Amino acid sequence: MTSRPRAPIVTLAALLTPRLLTPRLLTPCLLTLCLLTLCLLTLSACGSSGAEAETGSKDDGWSFVSGDGKTYTLDQKPTRIIAHAYAAAALMEFGIKPVAIYADGPVKDDVGLKGVDFRGITVLGETWGKIDVEKAATLRPDLIVGDWWPAEKAYSGMEGGVEAKSKKIAELAPIVGPSQGDSIVELIEGYEKLASSLGADVTAGSAGAAKANFAEALDTFKKAAAAKPGLTALAISPYDDKYAVAVPKYAPELLDFQKWGLDVITPKTPDKDFPYWETLSFEKVDQYQPDLLLFDDRNYPNNYETLEKAPTAQTIEAFKAKAYTTWPAYWMHTWSTYADQLNRLTGEIEKADPDLT
Amino acid sequence: MTATLRLARTTGSGVRDQRRLLAGLLVLGVVLVAVFLLSITMGSRAITLGTVWDSLLRPGSGSVAQTVVREIRVPRTLLGVLVGAALGLSGTILQGVTRNPLADPGIMGINSGAAAAIVASVMLFGAGGLSTYVWFSFLGAGAAMLAVYSIASFGREGATPVKLALAGAAVTAGLSSVTSTIVITHSDALNELRMWQVGSLAGRYLPVFWQVLPFIAVGCAVALFSGRALNGLALGEDIAVALGQHVVRTRLVMFATVAVLCGAATAACGPITFVGLVVPHLARLLCGPDYRWILAYAAVLTPVVLLGADILGRVVLANGELQVGVVLGVLGAPVFIALVRSRNLVKL
Repeated sequence: MTSRPRAPIVTLAALLTPRLLTPRLLTPCLLTLCLLTLCLLTLSACGSSGAEAETGSKDDGWSFVSGDGKTYTLDQKPTRIIAHAYAAAALMEFGIKPVAIYADGPVKDDVGLKGVDFRGITVLGETWGKIDVEKAATLRPDLIVGDWWPAEKAYSGMEGGVEAKSKKIAELAPIVGPSQGDSIVELIEGYEKLASSLGADVTAGSAGAAKANFAEALDTFKKAAAAKPGLTALAISPYDDKYAVAVPKYAPELLDFQKWGLDVITPKTPDKDFPYWETLSFEKVDQYQPDLLLFDDRNYPNNYETLEKAPTAQTIEAFKAKAYTTWPAYWMHTWSTYADQLNRLTGEIEKADPDLT
Repeated sequence: MTATLRLARTTGSGVRDQRRLLAGLLVLGVVLVAVFLLSITMGSRAITLGTVWDSLLRPGSGSVAQTVVREIRVPRTLLGVLVGAALGLSGTILQGVTRNPLADPGIMGINSGAAAAIVASVMLFGAGGLSTYVWFSFLGAGAAMLAVYSIASFGREGATPVKLALAGAAVTAGLSSVTSTIVITHSDALNELRMWQVGSLAGRYLPVFWQVLPFIAVGCAVALFSGRALNGLALGEDIAVALGQHVVRTRLVMFATVAVLCGAATAACGPITFVGLVVPHLARLLCGPDYRWILAYAAVLTPVVLLGADILGRVVLANGELQVGVVLGVLGAPVFIALVRSRNLVKL
């Protein structure tokens, strides 16, 4: 069904198949698709790297090279945009306000949408896979925006498992969006390009300031990480009696952290059917011994409490030493949130003891 | 009347029969111990038999393996025994009181009633501990039982076995959707609530065991001493009255016992179906129609089946495990169909 570690708290699919909470459902089939798409994307990226005017807008026409590799063009610059809630958060930071959004779950509960002001914006759905297309049609959108998921070859809102009725939103306007890939930075840059193609001045005002803040936060993060060379971290999402360890390869922010000097442990045997995680039972939580535990922040502190109840929790040295914090899991889309998270994590790194284990 | 005749035959055959039944019970006890040990040795962490043995007899090294055995596997297994006994006894009592071979706390909606009540209580009053959930669980179990029995009693022929099963299925479906609806709309509490959607022994530790132990112990004690009353009811209401039984009072006590047993079991492990249905029949096959023996056999045999299904759930998937509620659902459905179709069993 779905293959990415979606916010686990609220998706309908997650409710029907509890396993999704820490998803391990990627079928070999989808995995193959994912690899093929990656190849295609690499090829297309090579092809277009030299091309000019990637997001260029002609006089009053509009075109954008989207995450799926296709170039979309319209006679006029779109102004009535419907966006997935995360995409909306990204666009809004650059000053592009959509007319409507659809979210994966209740907007107020979503850690990835905290502080985003959706006042005056129509909400077309707050359950994963459900979009009120009838209402969407009355808004006469000229563009729909969502992340492109290479593993699923679909934009947010169009994935397998989304009800057919909701997918009809694609008939209202073209869907575009940058691709989820190996780095959150690239994803945000993708939104930057999209926003500027839509007429936003992405260097001015709060957007420019947010990017500068991010650069600063990144700098201090790198310094903090460099100051503690032996520090290891483990990204986890405990549920029921399972200890799911995130595989950085499929978590762009964890890849970023690794790149910037924080040693996020890569689990040895990712789940075969859903390689986003290596799922261990609570009997084996001592398998990896990091200096710092990172809890999936989408269902924190629930996941912390679940682990706390497990008698073996105390066999994780970092847990015993209370060396834990959260990690922004799979949701970041803006310079400002990334800067906040980096600053917070920098503090945690400075507090952490690299010789704990 | 067949029941009367069979009963007369069994009770008439005297001491030798009693000895045989007692021996059978002892054998079952040994099997239970074996399954118990098997359950403790099986798990995702490879632990040698020697270490398991040490953990039980010479604790205190504080190694991870010992923690796993003593604080994860033993509590899970103990809980399996407790919940198994509770469900087996409730099933037996329900079958006896309603004289319905298809009665089962799962099929009759009692477990889903308990689960729905817990989930609703979380929604209304916020998350509490298991010690508060248990009471809501009792209420839910009782209410569901009342609902199913009254629905099934409509119509000329009263609460026939199949009508009870149908009413139970309807109420179960309704209550499960209530549970699902609440779980869907209360995302914060999702982790807490998912426990009551599918029955499972996994992820329950010693505190859960201690919290439900008193309720199930009292329930089991009452249940085990209700054999004589059930034997009376098995002869039919008129004869039971003629034998001096307070039929209404007996029924009330029995239903209350079932509500306590099922409520506590569901609060601990979520809704588990089919064991309460199948095992009393197995027990009846083994020891004949005397409820005093059926109850004793069911109390030992159900934990064996429940733990067996739990162990099966741990091995059947290469990666991860299947909840015991699911395993029992898969195994129990065909047995249920066989029971519905079988003519011999449908007359209690």
